[in-house]
Amino acid sequence: MTTTDALPGAPRRRHAQPVDATLDAARVLALLATLVLVLAPHAAEFPAWVSVTVASVLGLRALFAWRGMGMPPAWWLALLATAAALGIWSSYGRLYGRDAALGLLLLMTCLKTLELRARRDAHVLVLLGYFLLVTGFLYSQSMGMAAYLLGCLWALTACLLTFQREPGRAAVPEVMRTAGLMIAQAAPLMLVLFLLFPRVQGPLWGLPLAQSAAQTGLSDTMAPGSVASLSLSDAVAFRVDFLSPAPEAKRLYWRGPVMWDFDGRAWRTGEALTTPAPVLGNVSEPLRYTVTLEPHNARWLFGLDMPAQRLEGSVLTADHQMLALRPVRARMRYETSSWLTYRAGLQESPRTLQRALALPSDYNPRALALGLRWRQDYPDPRNRVASALRMFGEQPFFYTLAPPLLGRDSVDEFLFDVRRGFCEHFASSFVVLMRAAGVPARVVTGYQGGVLNPVGGFLTVRQSEAHAWAEVWLQGEGWVRVDPTAAVSPQRIEGGLAAAVPADSGLPLFVRTDNALLKRARFTLDAIANGWNQWVLGYTPERQRELFQRLGMPKASWQGLAAALAMATGGVVLVLVLITLRRLRIAAPDPVTRAWNTLSAKLAPLGLARRPQEGPMDHGERVANALPAHAADVRRMAHLVVQLRYGREAAPEALEELRHRVRAFRPAPRWQRRVTTADGHPVTG
Amino acid sequence: METSLPHDGASAPAVPAGAVLLSQRRVYILPTGFGLLFALTVALVLLASINYNLSLGYVLAFLLAGLGLVAMLHTWRNLVQLEVSAGRTEPVFAGDAAVFQVLLVNNAGVARASIRLETAGALATSLDIPARGSSVARLHLGTQRRGWLKLPRIRVYTTYPLGLFRAWSWVELPLRALVWPQPENGDAPLPDRLPGSGEAGAGGRGTDDFAGMRTYQPGDSLRHVAWKALARDGRLVTKQFAGRTGQHLWLDFMLLPRAMGDEARLSRLTRWVLAAEAAGHAYGMRLPDREIAPGEGHPHCNRCLEALALYRLQGPKG
Amino acid sequence: MNAQIRPVLSTLGQIVLGKETQLKLAIACLLARGHLLIEDLPGVGKTTLAHALARTLGLQFQRVQFTSDLLPADILGTSVYDRDTGSFTFHPGPVFTQVVLADEVNRATPKAQSALLEAMEEQQVTIDGQTRSLPEPFFVIATQNPSFHVGTFPLPESQLDRFLMRIELGYPDPAAERALLAGQERRTLIHDLAPVLTPAALVALQGEVRQVHTAAALLDYVQNLLTHSRRAPEFGAGLSPRAGLALLNAARAWAFMHGRGAVLPEDVQAVLPSVVGHRLHAPGMAPQFGSTDLGRKLAAEVAIP
Repeated sequence: MTTTDALPGAPRRRHAQPVDATLDAARVLALLATLVLVLAPHAAEFPAWVSVTVASVLGLRALFAWRGMGMPPAWWLALLATAAALGIWSSYGRLYGRDAALGLLLLMTCLKTLELRARRDAHVLVLLGYFLLVTGFLYSQSMGMAAYLLGCLWALTACLLTFQREPGRAAVPEVMRTAGLMIAQAAPLMLVLFLLFPRVQGPLWGLPLAQSAAQTGLSDTMAPGSVASLSLSDAVAFRVDFLSPAPEAKRLYWRGPVMWDFDGRAWRTGEALTTPAPVLGNVSEPLRYTVTLEPHNARWLFGLDMPAQRLEGSVLTADHQMLALRPVRARMRYETSSWLTYRAGLQESPRTLQRALALPSDYNPRALALGLRWRQDYPDPRNRVASALRMFGEQPFFYTLAPPLLGRDSVDEFLFDVRRGFCEHFASSFVVLMRAAGVPARVVTGYQGGVLNPVGGFLTVRQSEAHAWAEVWLQGEGWVRVDPTAAVSPQRIEGGLAAAVPADSGLPLFVRTDNALLKRARFTLDAIANGWNQWVLGYTPERQRELFQRLGMPKASWQGLAAALAMATGGVVLVLVLITLRRLRIAAPDPVTRAWNTLSAKLAPLGLARRPQEGPMDHGERVANALPAHAADVRRMAHLVVQLRYGREAAPEALEELRHRVRAFRPAPRWQRRVTTADGHPVTG
Repeated sequence: METSLPHDGASAPAVPAGAVLLSQRRVYILPTGFGLLFALTVALVLLASINYNLSLGYVLAFLLAGLGLVAMLHTWRNLVQLEVSAGRTEPVFAGDAAVFQVLLVNNAGVARASIRLETAGALATSLDIPARGSSVARLHLGTQRRGWLKLPRIRVYTTYPLGLFRAWSWVELPLRALVWPQPENGDAPLPDRLPGSGEAGAGGRGTDDFAGMRTYQPGDSLRHVAWKALARDGRLVTKQFAGRTGQHLWLDFMLLPRAMGDEARLSRLTRWVLAAEAAGHAYGMRLPDREIAPGEGHPHCNRCLEALALYRLQGPKG
Repeated sequence: MNAQIRPVLSTLGQIVLGKETQLKLAIACLLARGHLLIEDLPGVGKTTLAHALARTLGLQFQRVQFTSDLLPADILGTSVYDRDTGSFTFHPGPVFTQVVLADEVNRATPKAQSALLEAMEEQQVTIDGQTRSLPEPFFVIATQNPSFHVGTFPLPESQLDRFLMRIELGYPDPAAERALLAGQERRTLIHDLAPVLTPAALVALQGEVRQVHTAAALLDYVQNLLTHSRRAPEFGAGLSPRAGLALLNAARAWAFMHGRGAVLPEDVQAVLPSVVGHRLHAPGMAPQFGSTDLGRKLAAEVAIP
């Protein structure tokens, strides 16, 4: 056959949709709207001129698309880009660094829209959009932000999808559904990779900036009013998961900074005691629990009195403070254990005891005098402690969030004039009295109590639970915890802060106990937040190692990890492939055809499968002629198929009969038939 | 009923003769340039997440990676198990675009979107195929010479849904279009009629209806020159007649000057066939190797044009 | 086989030897209230078939030989002025009968052809502004020679469409031919035939045929056939919706003849070559060149859903 050479020639009519169509306004506008969504979270983080520029450029591009106007020439764009770079330079003094670079990226992204002509440009913009999603997490990794950016991801993917279609072919709901389906299918893969992909502890370069300089929390000084002000914050300090049964509320003393040095007004932790690890005797079973600590920009790791073990990457001081090596700037999670019954510091050095007796002599003369009197009246230090507690309990002391201001001799004023105070007043004045009475004592700050979340089964400790108490050293007993607040207001220790102060004292909402429904909702939200922190944000290399341990791979090599990752990913992909193939399968025919197909498949090895163009009667006849032994059965089945598929109406039992006959049908294979005809006896195999 | 079909088992999908099923083995898939760029973006997102310890950044990176994998599956699924078969073609004159119809049948329960077809010399076309439905793609191929124009191997491909991957398959279809010679542009008049043979001759010379006048062209019969008009205003005018009886019009290749060249002669004959058909004449055609008895009507015209198209081309009989 | 059809077929089989399939198709065509086009060489028994069919069913029979000078009035009839009554009297033409054999229909001019074909389509004739109904049942058997000589007027596509079926008779096989040669004159035999069915019974049967069930699955198949004919390159022009209806009607009749209350794909396949043969043609070819082969090809290419 000879054929003429066809040279490409322009067709006279253009039926066909040209594949690389220029972008239509609808899709451009959709992409611009999506970019606005992606860029929006950055608005607050940059100088106003950046936001204004981005918004006006995107608006301009939208106007071009709406009016069908042409794009500005290239030199115009170059000019704008230079101006943007200069603007960043003048705002940040440099073009590198996280914020400057990000600002530049935002500006370049919006300038790129002015170059949005062909599908390729749209592709680049979608990729920029994808990248900008991750920068949104620099500001917040809350659930709300995650949901928002997931929505953006969905919209971006939908945009990308429309660019693969010809203009006007794809309806919005269909595109959104397909994009959503794809993201949903990608989710299991994401999960596997998230859990198993080998984690590297960042940063790889540079140092990430502290998330925020001022975090609330306890500090190394304690002045009157400092704990009280903390009590007004319902920020979460840490959450605790007890691995053993949770102890009762009054035993929940979360140990934080220990104060030794008093200057007459404020307490300080002073120099850290780095003596060898403390000795604890006469102990019960340790209580095990996990703490997820919110960043507080200080080194303390909180644990129940008394911490029983030193954590990796931290030190345990002689006064039983757990200190991280660096200030806690990111949420961290640690598992530790504590003894609730203990003997601590039985053999305390004289130097330490000396430090626990030091007092400035020119402050609080009345308190010093009272202490001296007790020292003379009671030879047994235990009685001196008891008399102090008796004083707090019997005299009209009030526990209040709003203590009056105190003057120079704050302890004297509190003890003898005002008698209204918060826990730090009680703790501070108690320790001063004890020291004056010759009993070694120190102030311990931390948190007391916590709210057990019935939804998540964990304990949430908030800043409002901040507390201060005292420890006295008694010969033969070591350091013993004494909480003077408990003597004044036992409800504070047993029922929390809200039970101890009047209802109108301006406590944070969460601390109040009145509205049950509200409380329930709050608990649920807090439980979700905890799960989020534990499993999403807190999934660190350590957590991953822990997971591998639980999966029975305590010391997994990187090969082992890679194999596990490959296997899990492969498994998920396989499932996806199977789903895909299933959807591809030729649409399931009706039950009659299905039965007939099954019969056909059984006949296929004998070369008697139904041909696509063969009707049921013809096929039945052909099979009946080829297999005389089954002729009646096959004819009956053909008759049933005809009746069911083409007849006016068939009895429902006909389908049952057909199915039954097809199931029972066992045509002898060809070799068996040959043997059968050879010697007349059927051979069973 | 008697059918001559290949004897295939029930497991093989029923594909009509001449159709090509894009089975798993025939479909290739590779990332596009954009797909590689996408991978780079995912890597950058992952890097940023590691550096800034962004747990949700990891989530995003892995979700995007998963999306890429899912997109690969979807792209593959969009093409695989598609049935491609030859549709119709219509004859065209050389110089016009031949339209080849390619039929795409989707037996699956899911719709397929943006399936594209391209072949050497034709613009790519893109079409959607509904679930359990079919669509017809039209490939426009420019023609230059008469004869059979075979549809070159076509590439069926898709980048749907995300454009990250391209799945494609090559299909060769037994499709060809008949290309008639390009009709000549001049207005050389139809040749004289000769007395027809057979039954039509019985009517004698017939009574042709006078149809009109036009300016004389060399080669016009002197018998048809309007001598009266010449005498009146000195212009050579030819009388034209219309009518079906009596005489047959013979379009004879051999009577055209050899100097014109074969193709030019075929072009003129083509125009004559069209003109004769339009005028409603009964006409026959003589080629050196073939003679077509006089006749008229669309099929007769097609036969003549086909003979002209395939003259001296060893094309198989269509 | 339907009990009322069986004797018809066996009676016909005694006259027309060795042509059982064609006889069955002819009867099916009649039962489906369609018209039949027989295309074959002269002398293979076209007239015999038509005549025998009419006799067996007890129908009136008229034969019209089509020639180039046949006028429409020769077929339809004319009004003649009656001097005695002073008015026009209508003299009905041969078309006013139950079975019309239009012999060599392609010999006549298109004008004469269309007169017959309009009568076929509408079952009525309008002459001098007066509409006259044709008898019931009304069945036209037209024959044509397959040759396309000068001086013939092949039926145009639109006219061909009015025939439900086109069949070819072909030469008899040796045994049938021997019986034919050795046996009696066919004309005598036809003359001696006793009708096995009355016209009224035939009309009743035609009514029953219309009740034959067509399931959705079968309609799917018919639609697939139509769609394929419109798309596949080997068919010049696709089948029209009317062709689809014709196919369904013929298949109904076939199913009815075989004693079925519902149409099977096999019924469709059996009538398909005859029903679509004259409606399909190879690309670039005139419909007159179509053949039953194209119908077989169609059946072979379309899967039964």
